[in-house]
Amino acid sequence: MGVIERNNVHVQGSGERTMVFAHGFGCDQNMWRFVEPAFEGEFRTILFDHVGAGGSDLKAYDKTKYSTLAGYADDVVEMGCELGLRDAVFVGHSVSCMIGVLAAQKAPGMFGKLVLVGPSARYIDDGDYVGGFSEKQIEELLQFLEANHMGWSAQMAPAIMGNPDRPELGAELTNSFCRTDPEIAKAFARVTFKSDNREDLAKVDIPTLILQCSDDIIASKEVGEFVHKGIPNSKIMLLEATGHCPNLSAPDEVNAAMRTFV
Amino acid sequence: MDDPRIDDFQDMFENSPCGYITLQTNGRIARVNTTLLRWIDRTADEMIGKRLSDFLNMAGRIYYETHIAPLLRMQGFFNEFALDMVTAAGEPIQMICNALEGRDAASKPVFTRIALLKATDRRRYENELLKAREAAKVSLASERETSELREQFIAVLGHDLRNPLASISAGARILGRDAKTEKEHQVVAMLQTTVMRMATLIDNVLDFARGRLGGGITLDRNARKPLEPVLHQVIDELRLSSPDRQIEAEYAIDSPVDCDRTRIGQLVSNLVGNALSHGSAKEPVRVRAETLDGLFRLSVANSGEPIPQAAMEKLFEPFFRGEVRASRQGLGLGLHIASQIAKAHEGVLTVTSMPDETRFTFVMPLR
Repeated sequence: MGVIERNNVHVQGSGERTMVFAHGFGCDQNMWRFVEPAFEGEFRTILFDHVGAGGSDLKAYDKTKYSTLAGYADDVVEMGCELGLRDAVFVGHSVSCMIGVLAAQKAPGMFGKLVLVGPSARYIDDGDYVGGFSEKQIEELLQFLEANHMGWSAQMAPAIMGNPDRPELGAELTNSFCRTDPEIAKAFARVTFKSDNREDLAKVDIPTLILQCSDDIIASKEVGEFVHKGIPNSKIMLLEATGHCPNLSAPDEVNAAMRTFV
Repeated sequence: MDDPRIDDFQDMFENSPCGYITLQTNGRIARVNTTLLRWIDRTADEMIGKRLSDFLNMAGRIYYETHIAPLLRMQGFFNEFALDMVTAAGEPIQMICNALEGRDAASKPVFTRIALLKATDRRRYENELLKAREAAKVSLASERETSELREQFIAVLGHDLRNPLASISAGARILGRDAKTEKEHQVVAMLQTTVMRMATLIDNVLDFARGRLGGGITLDRNARKPLEPVLHQVIDELRLSSPDRQIEAEYAIDSPVDCDRTRIGQLVSNLVGNALSHGSAKEPVRVRAETLDGLFRLSVANSGEPIPQAAMEKLFEPFFRGEVRASRQGLGLGLHIASQIAKAHEGVLTVTSMPDETRFTFVMPLR
């Protein structure tokens, strides 16, 4: 299975340049449903699911490969090669910000600009560095995820994985945007919240826009500032939007901010 | 007269058996009912205007931001999710929740309502189930590994035992040629008997291990070669090894039998060996082999104490050993292997045990 099917890649819009949207931990490419349409007129847009999320091929989930963000970045690069990306705009949300930072290093020239929505280079506190979480809290999260199966069950798996010969399951398919195999969800949470990409920031050599929410408990202002200071050619914009998902809660504000940059 | 509280919606909101929270679009708490306040030991003043996150544990906060908030935006509701709130004393209190997003005419979100049910016991139960599943998984994996190792060990051991046995057998043959005294002859005969018994045991062990390792009993069928000479040979060997016992054999094989002759020989050897071990030493063991009505039928009968009813059910299971004198004690694989050989030939091995006779009967189609 090629990268297009494996990562459930959707290419839309038209334009000289390409914009790639990468979703974060929790849901899938649906996170961009209010943002991507705003850019279809000027850009060729690419939406995809990380392996293990949304409509991706769960059989392709490889524990070792996806135990680091580099494994996810390799998929982005593979997709970029397949689609012949040059000088594209990479728009990442949450953990995908650092996946974009890594992908930009792995394939110079593939991306010309980075938009990072709610980035964090490290979630766990470390000495003077404030990430916002303690090691213990992250362990609690991993345990807690088991209490929320999101309606996942072995019986539902065929329908979730896009198997059309069980249409009777369709009606029950609520939460489908955020549903995934609990084992994979847990592993993705682990790699996300235990990642440390502080050293990678200085290696970013393309213009970067950081969109920072007010009142975001996942990626606080301090964390956003740290990313801004770390990436040489970056600027940071503070959004009025609250929470961690401005792409859903305040798409107009996000779209306007992105327009000033791309 | 009905109690006025029945129609009092304010009272129903405040004192419902579940908790209620209403959030503003900026995620701040707008309303919270008395039931929830009581559960988490807070006051309305403490909660209103704060973020819901301020009253969740860290895992709940992350989960709310990464899953619940986005899903509410995308599908307008989210049912049956778990959330841990924190009481004023800092104790976690497990909840199960439904949430829905209120929208205006233009589909803009205007508020979020959350209904919360205390689920401490349920979550404890679920956690126990998760733990039990995890433990079962681990113990199954280790069990499998151990049993595979054990069976591989048996297979290797069986192979390694054959070589020294072949040397002993060869040595006994050489000694037998030069044996002069009666005593020397007796010792050599005893050696040969022991070697044969040992070889049978090893064959059974190897077959058993192979069966367990997934190889099963393999057959090398040949209908053209006669079966009778093989049976003669096996029975002669058994007579040699038990010179003080009588084995009567009758043959009426008129049609070709499509079988693995070596395997059928092994089956006969196991059945007769069993009859010699368990049957009365005063009476003969009776073997009969015949072809009749498209079937090959072989029976081995002995006299003596019948097999107890309880033992009958386990007779063909591996490692089953009946009461027998120590010198005859085997591994308990003989009847198991015999029944496996029968099965491989699409046949059956059955047993009847009466006070006057115990009889094992093997029947297979001629094909």
